[in-house]
Amino acid sequence: MMKDVLFNKLNSFKRVFLILLFTAGLCLNSFAQTRQITGKVTSTDDGSSIAGVNVRIKGSTIGTATDVNGVYKISAQNGAVLTFSIIGYVTQEITVGGDNTYNVKLATDAKSLVEVNVVAIGYGTSKRKDLTGSISSVSAATIAKVPVTTLDQALQGRAAGVQVTNNDASPGGNVTVLIRGTGSLASNGNTPLYVVDGYPVSGGINNINPNDIATIDILKDASATAIYGVRAANGVVIVTTKRGKKDGGTQVDVNAYTSFQSRPKEYDLLNAQQFATMALQAVKDDPAQQFTTLANWSNPQSLTNADWQNALYRSGLTQTYNVGIRGGNEKVQSSTSIGYFDQKGIVLGSYFKRLTAGLNLDYQPTKWLKSSSSAKYSYQDSNNPYGTGSLGNLIQLPPTLDGGNNQTSQISDGKGNYGFFNPLYTYVAKYSNPIYSINTNEYKNITNYFLVNSSLEATVYDGLKLKTYAGINYTGYSGSYFQPSDSRLIDQYGAAAGATGNAFYSQHINSTFEWLWDNTLSYDKTFGKHTINFLGGVSEQESTYNAMGGSVIPPNNTIRDLNQGTNLLLDKYGNGQVIRSFASQFARLGYNYDGKYYINGTIRRDGSSQFAPGHQYGNFPSGAVSWRAKEESFLKNVDWLSDLKFRGSWGRVGNQHGIGDFTYQALYSAGSAAATSGNLGYPFGKTGGDNGTYQGGIAAAQPENDNLRWETDEETDIGADMSFLHGDLTFTVDYFNRKSKDFLLNIASSIQGGYATRNLNIGSMDNKGWEFAVNYGHSVNQDFHFDLGLTLSFIKNKLTSLTSGTNFIQNFGGLTLTATTSGDWDSFTRTYIGQPVGEFYGYKAIGIIQKDGDPGVHVSDLNNAAIAKGYSFYYKATTAAGDRIYEDTNHDGHITADDQVSLGSPQPKFFGGFTLGASYKAFDFNAYFYGVYGNKILNYQESNLESFAARGSVSIENVSQQYYKNAWTPTNPSNRYAAIHYNDVNYGDLVPSSVWIENGSFLKLKTLTVGYTLPADLVKKLTLSKIRVYVSSQNLFTITKYTGLDPEIGVQGGNATQNGVDNGTYPGSRFYTVGLNVTF
Amino acid sequence: MKMKTKNITLIALFAALMIPLDSCKKNFLTQTNTFQSTAGATFQKSSDVVALVNSIYDGYQNSDLLKKSIWYYANFQAHDWFNDGGDIAWNNYTISPTFNALYVFWSNAYIDIIRANSALEIIATAKANGVVTPALGDRLLGEAYFLRGMSYYYLAGSFGGVPLELKASSEGLTPRSTQDDVFKQVISDMQKAEQLLLSKTTLPATDLGRATKGAAYGYEGAAQMWLGKYTEALAAFNNPELTANYHLLPNFVDVHEFDHQNNDESLFEIQFDIQGSQSWDGGWQNGGEVAWIDDFSWPHEISGFGYDYGNPGLSYSYQAGDTRKLATIVGPGDALVSPGIIAKWGGIKGYAVVQAGFASGHKENASQAYPSFAGDDGNIINTCGALRQPWYGDDLTRSGYYCAKKWRDPNLTGANGTSAIFGSQNQILLRYAEILLSRAECKIRTGDIPGGLADIKLVRDRAWGGTAPTVMQDGLTYDGKPTAPITDPMQMVLSEYRHELTGEYSLFFNLRRAGKSSSGQSYAQDFIHNNYGTDGSLTPQPYPYGPTADGNLHGVWRTSLPAGRDILPIPQQAIGLNPNLKQNPGY
Repeated sequence: MMKDVLFNKLNSFKRVFLILLFTAGLCLNSFAQTRQITGKVTSTDDGSSIAGVNVRIKGSTIGTATDVNGVYKISAQNGAVLTFSIIGYVTQEITVGGDNTYNVKLATDAKSLVEVNVVAIGYGTSKRKDLTGSISSVSAATIAKVPVTTLDQALQGRAAGVQVTNNDASPGGNVTVLIRGTGSLASNGNTPLYVVDGYPVSGGINNINPNDIATIDILKDASATAIYGVRAANGVVIVTTKRGKKDGGTQVDVNAYTSFQSRPKEYDLLNAQQFATMALQAVKDDPAQQFTTLANWSNPQSLTNADWQNALYRSGLTQTYNVGIRGGNEKVQSSTSIGYFDQKGIVLGSYFKRLTAGLNLDYQPTKWLKSSSSAKYSYQDSNNPYGTGSLGNLIQLPPTLDGGNNQTSQISDGKGNYGFFNPLYTYVAKYSNPIYSINTNEYKNITNYFLVNSSLEATVYDGLKLKTYAGINYTGYSGSYFQPSDSRLIDQYGAAAGATGNAFYSQHINSTFEWLWDNTLSYDKTFGKHTINFLGGVSEQESTYNAMGGSVIPPNNTIRDLNQGTNLLLDKYGNGQVIRSFASQFARLGYNYDGKYYINGTIRRDGSSQFAPGHQYGNFPSGAVSWRAKEESFLKNVDWLSDLKFRGSWGRVGNQHGIGDFTYQALYSAGSAAATSGNLGYPFGKTGGDNGTYQGGIAAAQPENDNLRWETDEETDIGADMSFLHGDLTFTVDYFNRKSKDFLLNIASSIQGGYATRNLNIGSMDNKGWEFAVNYGHSVNQDFHFDLGLTLSFIKNKLTSLTSGTNFIQNFGGLTLTATTSGDWDSFTRTYIGQPVGEFYGYKAIGIIQKDGDPGVHVSDLNNAAIAKGYSFYYKATTAAGDRIYEDTNHDGHITADDQVSLGSPQPKFFGGFTLGASYKAFDFNAYFYGVYGNKILNYQESNLESFAARGSVSIENVSQQYYKNAWTPTNPSNRYAAIHYNDVNYGDLVPSSVWIENGSFLKLKTLTVGYTLPADLVKKLTLSKIRVYVSSQNLFTITKYTGLDPEIGVQGGNATQNGVDNGTYPGSRFYTVGLNVTF
Repeated sequence: MKMKTKNITLIALFAALMIPLDSCKKNFLTQTNTFQSTAGATFQKSSDVVALVNSIYDGYQNSDLLKKSIWYYANFQAHDWFNDGGDIAWNNYTISPTFNALYVFWSNAYIDIIRANSALEIIATAKANGVVTPALGDRLLGEAYFLRGMSYYYLAGSFGGVPLELKASSEGLTPRSTQDDVFKQVISDMQKAEQLLLSKTTLPATDLGRATKGAAYGYEGAAQMWLGKYTEALAAFNNPELTANYHLLPNFVDVHEFDHQNNDESLFEIQFDIQGSQSWDGGWQNGGEVAWIDDFSWPHEISGFGYDYGNPGLSYSYQAGDTRKLATIVGPGDALVSPGIIAKWGGIKGYAVVQAGFASGHKENASQAYPSFAGDDGNIINTCGALRQPWYGDDLTRSGYYCAKKWRDPNLTGANGTSAIFGSQNQILLRYAEILLSRAECKIRTGDIPGGLADIKLVRDRAWGGTAPTVMQDGLTYDGKPTAPITDPMQMVLSEYRHELTGEYSLFFNLRRAGKSSSGQSYAQDFIHNNYGTDGSLTPQPYPYGPTADGNLHGVWRTSLPAGRDILPIPQQAIGLNPNLKQNPGY
């Protein structure tokens, strides 16, 4: 049976092939005779029928489209050439010969996977060949290849110049997208603008179901983005969702997959026995005898091992189901989709659930009037109680709970008892059992999201269109946290263990309601060889943010009512309303001569309520030219060159991320309530032992800066698009020079001026780079097709100026790394003028001091040299054999903060993606690699793994096996691992230094997919049109020298000055996916 | 035709829509700040202007500033006290420029200075506009000058020369002035304050805690001494605002008693108050009304802290009969003498943790021979550790001696029992006994030795509860040897600074202020060396004498004060943000 099917199939292939050859031979001899031609269009990929293929008689206006079964009917004369075209497939032509039936097989178009022919350019579309700016496109087909949670993940490596980094692997994703480098120092200041179905959305886009996406167009250069003015500096990502077709058919798609996620890699840490042994030894070795061990540890063999990583990590499971129904006729087209995504993360307690529903409806009642509506809803429930940041603490936890809870020494005994650390033993008292917290506390994070818009477009005259577009975007968040009261410590240890941990309940809700109204007028017209297009419009947008929230000590473990608790604390600045408004005017004018010479200009004027009156408006112009050399007579007939185009552009765009509301005003604050930190008042009138009377205080909270203005980017782009071998090979290259300035920062300012931070426009920065995209697709024969894609981006980032008086900026905002000596890790990056943003900064470690008599450096020599220069000692008073030696970079004779130097940049020299796709008969294969090269990672985790002294307080912590076994001892003269010490304040082995800086280059096999499409005959019997099953794996392997768990580490806390810092991010691991695509 | 009408209608309609909407609604881009107040919204009432000045005082309600910067400097630098925990770098003078509390001190001081600078402008305007009465306006101006001057006083005393910021609006990039110039500014501010402030006698009871003329004279005199202007200093110290309005309390122990806050001897103290919880959640950080200062230094056995402790040698050094000894430092076998603690708890034995621990036979450290809360007689302990087994803390790293000046608040329990950690006890920065001793130094410096000795006698007589021995002589040396009578008047002053003011906020400031002695060394270096036999050692030493001399280390250092380390490093963060700042040599 199976054999027969294959045989028939082969026959039909042969038949078509012969017919094609025959007709080709006949075409010269054809004679005019109109008759009905029919046939079926199928895909070479899998033999499935293709609906909606445009079938046209070349050189005429006569045409039709294939129906839902891929069948077409058309009247044609002998010798007529029929063209079969549809997006995503290579256009094919056949010449009508003697037959009445012509079945056609279309090959998937390799190019179309990355480049589609109609490109969204903002308030309109353009044909790719007519573009003057630099725009990369990613099609639905590409997105469909990779199971992703959010659409930004789907962009990774797909478009040159776009760097996508999964900062951590938490469910729901934490992704940074950098388009053409780092252009801002502001927090989250490098986020591109996302425009979904014409609506510029302010939040992220993880509310959009990736399955709904038809195309993503990434506007990169300033000439392309300038139409979005002040929001355009970081590039614009235009997302177009799938809409119904006019072909009269109905298509139902069902996509589902299940993904198993393996447990992550773990650090190799000490077990209880080793840890206690180490602690006992450290006590012995401590010259100052600064600590003692817990009595239970004196017999390490008796201890119960607490394997925290084992307890916290688990295997994950992701399931997703999507149903889409799309179809329509000439007047009405609709597209409905429902999606459900459910991921159980690999860290206990973490999950992400999303339900999405979407409806796109287009209605054209008359020839001149058209309406288009789009509604998207999503419900998200996510939780990540112990994610990035917290996970950094996990490896610090001592691996024994003995001597704590007398019920159990285990992390959890399965009977409801959880071990805890001894609260009276100072050196572990600060630690708590995260498994207890995750299992006992309740977390809720719910988001409801609506994005609804409608437009009405009237064609009032040939080429002249008026359009009004209105939309709303609503996000409602509601979250709560409950922690039951905990008296376990004082029940066992009495008053000495402190007080009963009160129950705690907090609840927060907030919502953002935003409306947008655009009115545009456009005119497109060709007069002979002259084509002009014009767009002009106005836009207004207003968003209202409301928030309420607070916390209480609830009366018992059941009540969840802020009103019934005690100690009600309302969220500071979280109970009220903020309104932002935004008004714009914009225009675009394009002209081309004969499809050869193009010139294009845009201007946008944006006004924002976030700036001082009189400083609210900014103007953002751009211009571009392009030359389609291929159209010139001297190239027109050059066969090997299918296309050649040169582009050049300049534009000025803005960036308003990083600016808060009313940051320009001089503000005074009465501080917080008397009973809280940060109050500004003071008590007076106290006599003897009585309380005084608290009097409130008022102080300046923010200095005035009326001159706050937009960040500005000016960008020049020169590019070329080439195509060879009849379009099989395409090549795009761009050079850009992006100059960004006036970063809007709430920046640490010299406290001498009275303010720890100020809102300022500071500095300038350059990003210069080259982008390459190469695609090659080829059908070797009917059965075998393959395509290769490569994107490569080289970006050089450099800070070019700062405010007067300083030549560097240190890391600020967001990420805090705790140190054994407070302050040591406050500064771990410094960006100097002339250097890339976020360069790591610290001491240059050059080895370990050795014991007198051993070969190597001795402390007496270092100290004597220092004393000779008038200092008491080389580094620390207590520096001895086993401690790190730092280089005296300023040669002043001793080690101080001034000896710190730049230790490398977190920014890669280049990055890129490589895709390999192939199909053979019913099988399809896709492999996708992503890599970065030439960047450094600050492995802060490693410094924790080599720290016996705890970070941030009087405690001790676990270390790695690697460190324990290799640490310096008098008999193990390591030159890399310092001696094990308690209280690093005396030794300084754990300060920021080159020891923690590592090569961050990597190459990852992100995805490997193998699919099989069931034979068409079998599928037909099930009354379906296509069934494809596939298996896929993500993160199968990574080639890297990085010693941490995962080198894919991006910007932390949204701040470019803290990029590439491994502080215990939510780990990634392998996914194994089984999926199903069904089309009815 | 139909089409044409439609087109015209549409175009007309659209033309209307294309008119930017904000031209219809003129204020579309104007939003009102409903979360924070602009100047226009504030300072409409006299109480708002008072509140503006209150916020300057608020900058000093900070444990890092008071305890970990000024108190550490005043006491750790003199080796009378040591740190246990994260800040032990102070014990051998290896304080890092990244020591965070110094930056808190620096920050709060400058925030206060700029607040004072802008208050000077706003008050002047409010006075001109009649928002405040001229009298109130003057008082508030005086407070702003006083608080600015006081901030510069402590900055220059600790760091040497610091930048002078004298305007409300500054980028904060000013370089450092000399130490002398900063003290000149202190004098100028204090002299203005002397004219504008209220006298102690006229300050309403409800405003107790505000700066007074007397306090301004006190700081002016001290600043004059830093400049070596002893005659001018004497003039300030002799002003009747000081001499007539402030008095030594009859009993030394009462000076620091909880129920004697804002007493007759106190010139200026930072006020604290119970507002909310006295535990970690009570808002104790910057500006909080409670502070973690006092039980920070209680023995670990009682409080769970024990982050600073005394040098046994300080206890030995008190001359026989000096009532200040047990009111300053307690060690093995010493009972608390605080009347407030005795009234509330009956002494150490009354604390819940002592009673529970005695009942359970608790040993703070498993290796101890005896239970921690059993006294030498085996009964419940009522002394600060037993002689047979001093309170070295859970890790045996403390000396066994603790600060009794900071063990007065009966409401505190430490991190035990009800967990009252954060206290409301005021911190006295300047009191009349110090004025008398400083005045003695001025008199001695200007040749009036008898006058100086008379001032010293006033302070010593009170210390002995009436009449002090005429021969002035320390008790035993740190290693238990007898001492010789003190005959050099300058050494008498230094000894009295120490025995009167140690454990408060002045001692090392006064030692450094004394400058170089005739030996060419600084008075401070010599004095510390003489008290403790300091040497080049950088690690703790076993104690040579007394109940804690068991041959083991108990957290006592004897590191000599290195050259240049008599002042603190400029905080690294401050230099990072103002590259015009130069670090002190030696750091």
